[in-house]
Amino acid sequence: MLGTNEKLEWIQLSLKYFLPELVLVGAFLILLLSSLVLNKGHQKKSIDWIALLLLMATLMASVISWNQTTANIPLFSGMLTQSTFAVYLKLLFDVAGVLTVLLSWKAYEYRKAEYYALVTCALLGAHVLVMSSNLIMVFLAIELISLPSYLLTAFVFSKKSMEGALKYFLFGSVASAIMLYGMSLLYGITHTFDFTSEVFAKAIYYQQTPFFFISVCLILAGLLFKIASTPMHPWAPDVYEAAPSPIVAFFSVVPKLAGIGILVLFCLAIDLKGNSSIRWYIVLSLIAILTLSIGNFAALLQKNPKRMMAYSSIAQAGILLIGAITLTNQGLQFMLFYATVFLLANYLVFLYIGHFERKSIVDMESYAGIGKSNAASSILLLVGLISLTGLPPTAGFLAKVFVFSSLWNSYEISGQGLYLVVFVVGLLNTVVSLFFYLKIPYQSFLKNGSNTVPSENSWGVNLLGFLLVITLLGLFFLPSGLMGWLNRITFAL
Amino acid sequence: MHEYLLSLLIFLPLIGALIVLVLPAGTFYGRSIALLIALLQGLVFIFILAAYDTSLTGLQLAERARWISLAMGTWGEVRADYFVALDGLSLPLVGLSVFIFIIATISSWKVEKSRKGYFALLLVLNAAVMGTFCAQDFLLFYLFFEFMLLPMFFLIGIWGGARREYASIKFFLYTLLGSILILIVMIALLLSTKSSNDTGTVVHSFSITDMTNSANILSQSVLDPQRGLELFGISVRVWAFIFLFIGFGIKLPMVPLHTWLPDAHVEAPTAISVLLAALLLKIGGYGLLRITYPLFPDAAMQLSWLVALFGVISIIYGALAAMASKDLKRLIAYSSVSHMGFVLLGVASVTTEGAAGAVYQMVSHGVISAMLFLLVGVLYDRTHDRMIENYSGLSSKMPVYFSYTLLAFFASLGLPGFSGFMAEVMVFLGAFKSNGVNGLIHESFAIVATLGLVLGAAYYLWTLQRMFFGKYHFKSSTENTSLVDLDQREILMLLPLALITIAFGIFPQLLLNFINPFADSFTETVLQTGKAIQAIIRP
Repeated sequence: MLGTNEKLEWIQLSLKYFLPELVLVGAFLILLLSSLVLNKGHQKKSIDWIALLLLMATLMASVISWNQTTANIPLFSGMLTQSTFAVYLKLLFDVAGVLTVLLSWKAYEYRKAEYYALVTCALLGAHVLVMSSNLIMVFLAIELISLPSYLLTAFVFSKKSMEGALKYFLFGSVASAIMLYGMSLLYGITHTFDFTSEVFAKAIYYQQTPFFFISVCLILAGLLFKIASTPMHPWAPDVYEAAPSPIVAFFSVVPKLAGIGILVLFCLAIDLKGNSSIRWYIVLSLIAILTLSIGNFAALLQKNPKRMMAYSSIAQAGILLIGAITLTNQGLQFMLFYATVFLLANYLVFLYIGHFERKSIVDMESYAGIGKSNAASSILLLVGLISLTGLPPTAGFLAKVFVFSSLWNSYEISGQGLYLVVFVVGLLNTVVSLFFYLKIPYQSFLKNGSNTVPSENSWGVNLLGFLLVITLLGLFFLPSGLMGWLNRITFAL
Repeated sequence: MHEYLLSLLIFLPLIGALIVLVLPAGTFYGRSIALLIALLQGLVFIFILAAYDTSLTGLQLAERARWISLAMGTWGEVRADYFVALDGLSLPLVGLSVFIFIIATISSWKVEKSRKGYFALLLVLNAAVMGTFCAQDFLLFYLFFEFMLLPMFFLIGIWGGARREYASIKFFLYTLLGSILILIVMIALLLSTKSSNDTGTVVHSFSITDMTNSANILSQSVLDPQRGLELFGISVRVWAFIFLFIGFGIKLPMVPLHTWLPDAHVEAPTAISVLLAALLLKIGGYGLLRITYPLFPDAAMQLSWLVALFGVISIIYGALAAMASKDLKRLIAYSSVSHMGFVLLGVASVTTEGAAGAVYQMVSHGVISAMLFLLVGVLYDRTHDRMIENYSGLSSKMPVYFSYTLLAFFASLGLPGFSGFMAEVMVFLGAFKSNGVNGLIHESFAIVATLGLVLGAAYYLWTLQRMFFGKYHFKSSTENTSLVDLDQREILMLLPLALITIAFGIFPQLLLNFINPFADSFTETVLQTGKAIQAIIRP
């Protein structure tokens, strides 16, 4: 046990690396206070700006800590670890946070300050989660993401969104309980919660038993719930359909990437640098194949764009997992490249789904003929969908090529047939995904709509959409810059 | 000046597309700009011809600039270049593309529905086709190859016929399936080969030239013949060949992967049908000659009989299906399947005659099928009816139209004096010779394939008899259709095509001067490297 003085010293040393999270805590408090202090009129005018500035400040703080971080730094008595991997993911979360504010601009006015406060809180959870090196912190951080998420789902304040929120809550609490049970079993085996420690590694090295396998599977179940990956995915469509569009975009990116981040760290720990006698890559490969196939095939049947995107994001989680299977530096770097592109493309798509939703275009069929009345919006949306499919000339294509190249490389080195199966199944899934990603463009360009939708009030949306599209195209033609950043990242525990 | 000719050819239409997009909607400028760009490309192509030296083999007019260069830690470096160049295979096809795009633009002159979008997409498609034929870097090739799909999807899906949505989705999914198979092999190749002139770190280059050189295969990589990795009892190299073969086979299209073609053709507007048949199908044959055979010559020598078999099946099945078609456009679509079978047979023989015949057939079919689809379009414009049984005795009502159709049909069925005859003769020569020279395919393939010629004559003559001979009769659903003969715009499109097919039929040297050096070196490299690699596998 540490003495009080040592603890204080830890805190004192850690705080300067904890800047982005402190800013987030501050932002959370300011937003809550402003919902109490500001009157309705003021709130309506200024709350978007306040939220945007606060999240921009967080992003800046994360950029600063990106520049500071070169190696792993333990924080707060080793509860958290600041690593390049974690900081890069935090950068992604903060970008997602800023985009969420932009997507919610001048919409969902009711209780807006609390809405942003909850987003900030979930962001804080994601930040802490990817830094965790202790199972207790993992649990706390996941709850910190989950609780605001349940509330945010209900923010449309309709019967449907209440239903979605309740479902999410019930599923979520069961998943947390399962994970907590797994953690307690694992503690019984290892006598430590710190999964990066020597003690942990030694303990599991000598106890590669079915009992250990089950306890890890229970923990994975909780993490897969956050990632919305098979077999823990069934909550996603209902929740996505119920929640406000910017929040869906947020859900489909931030908790997912945070979950992937901690999954990678945890898998690195239990893989024991390849010395584990339980071959975890088989488990991960099976999960990835199932996630990808179920997500894509289920998306084919959807009639609501948000439900379709829910299944799409399940399938995309499968590709992220494919990047993670091999647990090599290369694979994980490419997974982060994919994650970056996925974030941008997904926000682009939800930007327009939300935009059209406000013009009361909700079903797939009501997109008919939009291509004529809202040509620019429809074309930009098309680019987003093409990038999610992974066709050139968008960054989605390059990201896919990278992820699958690293998988091929692992096959080349190890000669494991399973990798090749994942490789072929994964790429063939692209054809399936094209079919449903084309559904919206199919309606908007090929079908003739009966209702005419005015295209006014869309220049702001289109400007943001255009910027995202330029980034997606730019990352295809000039990927070197981003890859240079990613090359800095190391994935040691 | 001439070091930028190919870039000019590729980027002119993209600039044109941008101009069309920013112009106000509802004007007629779009089509004029599209035509202007197509004509400018014609001018550029004349410069290219002037700069091209037919006495040389290998790539000419090359342009190379660094595009992506990523340091990948343990992998070494991954590099993709903007690398475009022409050789005896690319040049005839680029020429064909330039020419067909001029014709297609004229043929689109009367498009009414959202003109701006139509011509912008047409120009984008133009750039993608040019890029595909010029690219010598696999990633660049793949980029253009995929980039063709989207404009084509919309061109069929928005401006097509009654079942256009079904046809466009089917086209997109089939082709994407093929390109995913190609992508799989591309990733494998990237990681299994290195660049020729790298020092120190390994450079994984996308350059097709580097990939073709078997000395560049990394040892202990998946595609290393010495490692001899197998999957389900079949060598990984053979798998790669099969994947590429299917990928390009879908595009070609070969039976049984052809089912998207009749639908796409029947639903597409005339100009798009012309482009589809004349250019997009050629990319399948181009891919076989440029990528599949040179990159996996050992597997090619094992499986050429299979390629030839599918070629013969396509020839016979396509001809039989054409004979059974009631819709004139469907008939011509199936005749395309039949004719592209000759390309497969020619490539499979790996002889100079066969390879040259395959390229010749691609150009010849490009010209003739363009003519055929234009002729169907002419009739459809007037009557909105393509059913063969509804017409008879048209020759008395539309004599000029009849003479062009007669010429196109005869050219297509391979009558001496037309380009199709030259191409098919060369393919047969190659296929007969193959068994004696390199033992790849048996003579019986060529013998069975000749049956395709007989069937071709049968369905074309039967169609002529049904539609043009006898007493004039037109069973129409709308009564007051006036069957007027060809107008000047239509003759302007058809006459050059007719002249070219005759010219290539009488003076084959016009084309063979370009093709022969390529065919020679293709045959030589495939046979030599193929044997060398096979010697490694089975010492």
